[in-house]
Amino acid sequence: MQEQRSRRSALKALGAAAVAPIAAAHVSGLSIREQGSPELDSAHLQAIADAVLPTELGADGRARVVDAFLRWIRDYREDAEMDHGYGFSRIRTTGASPASKYSEQLEALNRAAAAVKPGPDGHAFVALDLDARRAVIAGALKEAKVERLPQRPTGAHIAADLMGFYFNSSAAADLCYRARIGRDACRGLDGSEKPPAALNE
Amino acid sequence: MTTRNWFLRELRDSVVNALSVNSATSVTSDVCIIGGGISAAMLAQKLLELQPSLTVTVVEAGARIFDLENRGKYRRRMLDYGENAWPGDFIADQAAGGVISRTMAVGGSALHWGGVTNRFSEEDLTLRSRYGLAMDWPIPWAELERFYCEAERRLGVSGEPSPLPEDQRSEPYPMPAMPLSHNLRELKAWAEQSGIPFWSTPQAKNTRPYDGRSVCMRCNTCEICPTGARYSPDFTFKQLLQKKEFALHDATLIRRLVVSPDGRRIEAAQGVARVRNGERMEYRATTFVLASGYCWSPHLLLLSASGKFPQGLANSSSLVGRYMTGHSFISAQIEMDARIYPGMNEQHSLISRQFFRCRSDVPYVRHDLRIWESSAGREPRLKDASGTYLFGDALLQDWRRRTTRGAARVRAYYDVHPSPDSALTLDPSRKNQWGDPLPSIRHVLDEPTRGRATRTREHITDLFERLARANNARILNISNDSQYLDHPAGGCRMGTDPATSVCDSFGRTHDHQNLFIVGSPTLPTGGCTNGTLTFVALTLRSATEIAKSARV
Repeated sequence: MQEQRSRRSALKALGAAAVAPIAAAHVSGLSIREQGSPELDSAHLQAIADAVLPTELGADGRARVVDAFLRWIRDYREDAEMDHGYGFSRIRTTGASPASKYSEQLEALNRAAAAVKPGPDGHAFVALDLDARRAVIAGALKEAKVERLPQRPTGAHIAADLMGFYFNSSAAADLCYRARIGRDACRGLDGSEKPPAALNE
Repeated sequence: MTTRNWFLRELRDSVVNALSVNSATSVTSDVCIIGGGISAAMLAQKLLELQPSLTVTVVEAGARIFDLENRGKYRRRMLDYGENAWPGDFIADQAAGGVISRTMAVGGSALHWGGVTNRFSEEDLTLRSRYGLAMDWPIPWAELERFYCEAERRLGVSGEPSPLPEDQRSEPYPMPAMPLSHNLRELKAWAEQSGIPFWSTPQAKNTRPYDGRSVCMRCNTCEICPTGARYSPDFTFKQLLQKKEFALHDATLIRRLVVSPDGRRIEAAQGVARVRNGERMEYRATTFVLASGYCWSPHLLLLSASGKFPQGLANSSSLVGRYMTGHSFISAQIEMDARIYPGMNEQHSLISRQFFRCRSDVPYVRHDLRIWESSAGREPRLKDASGTYLFGDALLQDWRRRTTRGAARVRAYYDVHPSPDSALTLDPSRKNQWGDPLPSIRHVLDEPTRGRATRTREHITDLFERLARANNARILNISNDSQYLDHPAGGCRMGTDPATSVCDSFGRTHDHQNLFIVGSPTLPTGGCTNGTLTFVALTLRSATEIAKSARV
C-alpha cells in the first residue's frame, strides 16, 4: 500500500511538472466568450480533457491544459502573417479561428452521448464515464475524418485540437521522456552535454 | 530591334529620365549600395573602416525590423501560432518565381538564417583544372581563406577546427565551438563507428559574449534568436547608423540604373519610396554596388535595359541572369539504439567534410555530410498501427514505446553545376505595382551533372547505409533528390574573360567601371555546403577594391 501511494504521488508530481510550462505561460479562468466567439461550456471541455489527456497530469494538470487551450483560442489572430522563412516562397495568413466550429461540435458530442445514455439536457456527454466519452469522441473523429494529431488547432474537431495542443507541446515531450528537456525554453548552454534531468528531480 | 522600336525606346528613356531628374528627391554619396542584406552590412562596415570619410548610402526595398526587444514575443507567436517571426519582412507585389525566400527587409535572408558558417574548399575554386568540370574561380584559395577568417571575425563564428589536413586554417575560430549536446554526443559516437569523422558545425552564434551581443541561450529557434546571440545584419546596421557618414534608406525600391552617355559609368539609381506614396528617389554616387542577392541583382540589371543597352546593363556577355546555381541534397532519417531527447538543441549539427575531396581519377562526387537529432517516427500519434484511436494514457504509452530508440536526420548537400540555361528572366506576365516585370528563376543542371546523377545518389545512399550499420540502426526513409537548389547563387558570375563572365573577381562589372556586384550573384558554382560565409568573404575581398574606386 505504501509503495502504491508513493508511486501515485510520484506520478502526480511528474504530471504537475510536465504541465507547468504550459500553465506558467497562461492565465486560468479564461473563456472563449471573452473574445466574442460562441460560448463554450468549460465543464464540457474539461470532460473531453479528462478523457483524452493522460491521467499522469492529474486533475489539476488537465484543468491547466484546458485553461491554456482557452487562452490560445482567445489570443488567436485571424489573417496574421504566417511563417515564410527560408525555403518557403508563398506568403500565407492564418484563417478563421478554429473555435468558430467548436460549439457545433460540442452539441454533436452531446447528441451522440445522449444516444448512448440519456443525460441532463445539454450535458449528456459530461455525464458519461471516461470509456464511453472516448467511444463518442472516436466516432466524432472518424466522422470528421481526423487521422492525425494536428500540430496546432485547426477546427477539424475540438477533441483532436485539444489533444494536438497538449501532446505536441514541449511539456508533453518532457512527460513522455520523463525528462526536463524544455524544448521551447531558453536554457543556456551549460550542462547541455549531459542528459536532461529527470522530471521528478 | 527595328529602327522604329529603337527610336521609340530611346524617346521613352529620354522622357523618363527627364521626368525623373526633374521631380525626384536626389541623394548623393560616395558609395551607393543597393540591397540591405548581410553582404551590404559587411561591405558598408568595412568601407567605413577603410575610409572613414566616405559617405555610404544603403538602399533597401524592404523595411527595417530592428526591434530586438520584441523578438521574444515574436518567437512565442511563431511557436504557438506559426506566425511570421519577422512580421512585415516581405513586399506583397515583389514576388519572384522560383525564389528560395520571400524575405525583403533590412538584413535580407540572413534575418531567418540558421547561422551555419561552413567554408567551401579549394576544390570548389579549381573544378575545371582538377576535374575538367564547370569553371575555375578567378581567386586563389589561399587568398579567399584570409577573407574567410575576416568574415568569421566580423560575424562572430564559434567552431571546432576540422581534423582534416586539407581544411587547415590560418587563424583559429573567434570563439570556441558550440558544445555538443548529449544528443549530438550520442550521435557522434554512433556515426563515427562508420570510420567517418564528424565534428561540431561552425555557426555564427556566440558561445561567449561577443561584439556586444550575448551568449547563446539554446532557445532552439535560431530563425528568430530572441537574445541576439546569433548574428543578424540588423546589429551591424544599427551600429553603422551611429556614424554620420552612413545612411540607410529602407522601404525604397530601386527600379533602374542610369548610365552615362558613353555607357561606361553608372550615373544614378532611380527608384521609389514605397511608404511615401511612391515618391521618386534618385541616388547619385561615385561607385554603385549591387548587393541584392542572387535574384534581385541580375533582375535590376535586366530591368535597366535601354536603347543603348537593350539586353540590360553589364550584359555584353549575355550572361546576366545565367548560370543560376546552388546545390542539391539528399536526406534520410535513421533510427538506432541511442538515448536521444529530441529538442535539446535541434539547430546544432555534426558535420564531416571528408567528402569535400574527390580524387581526379575516380567518378566525380563531392558533398558535405551532416547529422542532427531527430524525432522522426516517434512523434505522438492519434491512431496506432491497427487504425485504432488512442486517447490519454494509451496514447502516452504508445508514444513512450516508440521513443525507446533514438533517431537522426542525416543529409548531404552535393555539388551540381549549372548550365547556361539555368536562368533568371523577366516575366512580362507578372508585374509589380510600378509596372516592372518580375523575375522568374529556372534551374537547369549541365550535362556532366545530369550524367552522374544516378551514381551520385548511389554513393550517398551507400554512405547512409554505412552509417546505419552501427547500433542496430535502421534507415526509416531516404528522400528523393531535392527538387530545388539550396543556398542559391549565381546570375552574375565572376571571371577573367569578359566574354564568359559578368564581373571580375572583385565584382567589378566588365562593362561599367564604377558598378560592382558583391556576394552570392558572383559565384560561378554553388559548392556543396552552406554559402553565406563564402558570400561574405567574397564581399569583404571586394571592399578594398570598392574603397579604391570610391576615392576617384
